[in-house]
Formats: sequence, structure tokens, C-alpha cells
Amino acid sequence: MTQETQSALTPEVRAMIGVSGDVVEAWGVVDAEYLRRFTQAVMDPDPRYWDQDFAESTHYGEIITPPIMVSYLASRIRPDQDDPVTRAFEENPESDGIGSVERPGELPPVPTNLMRVLNAGNELEIYKYPSIGDTVFFQNRYSDIRERVGRDGRAFLIITRETTYRNQNDDLLCITRASTIRR
Amino acid sequence: MSLPLEELLRLEPEDILAHNERPKADDLRDKQQIFYEDVEEGMELPKYIYSPTPTHLFRWSAAIENFHRIHYDLDFGLNHDKNPSILVHGSWKQSVVPQFLKDWTLPKGWPWKAQFEHRAMLVPGDILIMWGKVTSKYEKGQMGFIELEIGMMTQDGIESMPGTATVVLPLRDGPDIPYPFVPPAD
Repeated sequence: MTQETQSALTPEVRAMIGVSGDVVEAWGVVDAEYLRRFTQAVMDPDPRYWDQDFAESTHYGEIITPPIMVSYLASRIRPDQDDPVTRAFEENPESDGIGSVERPGELPPVPTNLMRVLNAGNELEIYKYPSIGDTVFFQNRYSDIRERVGRDGRAFLIITRETTYRNQNDDLLCITRASTIRR
Repeated sequence: MSLPLEELLRLEPEDILAHNERPKADDLRDKQQIFYEDVEEGMELPKYIYSPTPTHLFRWSAAIENFHRIHYDLDFGLNHDKNPSILVHGSWKQSVVPQFLKDWTLPKGWPWKAQFEHRAMLVPGDILIMWGKVTSKYEKGQMGFIELEIGMMTQDGIESMPGTATVVLPLRDGPDIPYPFVPPAD
């Protein structure tokens, strides 16, 4: 890093590494109707998702669900909260439809004045397919924050948020990591 | 007939679609196990070819409750975000990855890990090729680990999702892969 480059990885930013959110219970349970909609949308016709007799004869012994489906179940807007979509457009008719939508279990923001957010990549680790009827619990954590210097000589951050998903029996289902660039 | 990725990209877009190897339900029901010993470095996985339409994008937005207008509001995408069209979701691409790995490792293997980046804006009309290629393999704890290079390439050869993955296959004379999956100790 050159002397002219001001570090973006301040002590306050560094202190966010390892910060975890609450363990949050996702709204609802893993259910066959959500499974149908999800697998049709991703275009996966696997009978392990819908043919009970066949599914019971497989290695898994039951209907399975795509591992990553729980991450969308976890980000559902709860019916006991105010409708954030309507509120977003009341506050800003030009809303992008997502910016003001609060999701449960969010982490505190990283204290940086770098505001532009770009998707830097994703990681998946899969351990168990969620079962129909599972209640899903998830927890977010800042697993890593690194600094890089762009071609323009300015420092930017790569912030990795890890989310761990478990079921009601504390079985580990999957771990996702989403990295974003903050410029 | 399964064409290598390099050859597939030489075809016209409509001809690329004819080489889609995405399995149907009965193919997945009858899937025969690939064993560790069957795999060689450089082997390509069956390629999944997609031609997403605005309806596919809308269905995905609805399924996962993603309200971001860039995926379904063409006027917003063109005039507000200055995008070339509505955009294919990164989340959809991300969800294809475990499906692609699951299908190849069925019925008793395991799609353990994947990591990838999102590059390029994909729009309706693009032909998208989900591909994978074996880069190495090793045995550990009576399981066969396969390292893959993966990606989702456009008809023009633009890689939109470069990444890697690790899947686990049974050895021909080995035990079943444990389910739930437990990786062997280091």
C-alpha cells in the first residue's frame, strides 16, 4: 500500500470481524408447497423432491429439499412486521424495491464511508438436506474483512458475511458466505 | 451427444441449445452412480444449458421473494440503473450450482462445497451454459474427493460465474458416503 493510500481497514472496521448476530428462527417451516415453487423456479425436476415413495427408497430415506432453499426461507418478510415494500415506495416512489426492506437477523453495519456495494462472490458448504417440517435457525457473522487497493490507488474492503443454518435438532444444514466489495 | 465446452462455443446459439444435457425427472430417478475410480482429470460434467426469459426471471423473483426491480421492471432497469435489460439473478445462478453438483454425484455422492464469483450482466436472450471440469482427485477417509472448475458461460464465451467445487464420490469397493455428510478429519 502506498503512503498516499488511506487505509479503509480502520480499527473500528477490524473490530467487526467475528461479530455475530442473534440466532434467528425463520418464519414458518420447510414445506412441500414452498419446495414445489422453489424447485420449479430453479428448474430442477428431481423426484427426490416430490415423489414420497421414491424418496423413501433413496440414500436419504425421505423427501429432500435444495440446501440453499433455507437461505430464502430465512430472508422471508415476517407477517408480524410492517409491510416494508409498501413503506419503501411511500418513502421513495423510485425505490429499487429492495433497499429499504429489512430482513431479520441482520448484522450491524460496518462503520465505513465506502458506500458502493458490489457482489464479490459466494461460497456454499452443504452438510444435510433440509427435511419437510424442519424449523430453520440461522445466524449471521462477519467472518472476514480484508483490504485491497484498486488500480486507482484507492483502498477498498472485501466484507464476508457467513450464515450458518441449523434445524430444530441442531443439525448443521449448510453454511453460506457472501462477499461484497465496498468502494 | 456430449460436446466439449470448447466445441459447443463454436456453434450458433440455437445449435448450442440442442446440446442441453439437463436431466429430466426419470433420468434422475434412474441415475447410475459415478464412482471415484471412473473419474479422470480433464473430464467434463454434463452441461446444463438455459435460455432464460423474462417469465423465468419473474418466477424466480416470486419464488424467493426478491423484490429488486432490476430483475422484472424493464423501464426501471433501462432508465434508472442504465442496465441493458432486466438482469438474470445471481441468486438463481447460485442455486443452479448445488443442483448441478447434486445431479452428477447422485445417488450416493455428495456435493460438498463450491465457491464462485459473479461477473457479467446476463439478460433474457442469453444462452447460458453451466459447466464443470475435473481438475484433480484424491482419496481420504475411504471417500473419493473430486476438485472441479465450474462456471456459467454465455454463448459468446463470457464467463459469468468462475468458480471451483469439491464433491465426494464413493469408492467402487468403499462404504457409502455418510449422510448427513461428515468430512474426514484432517
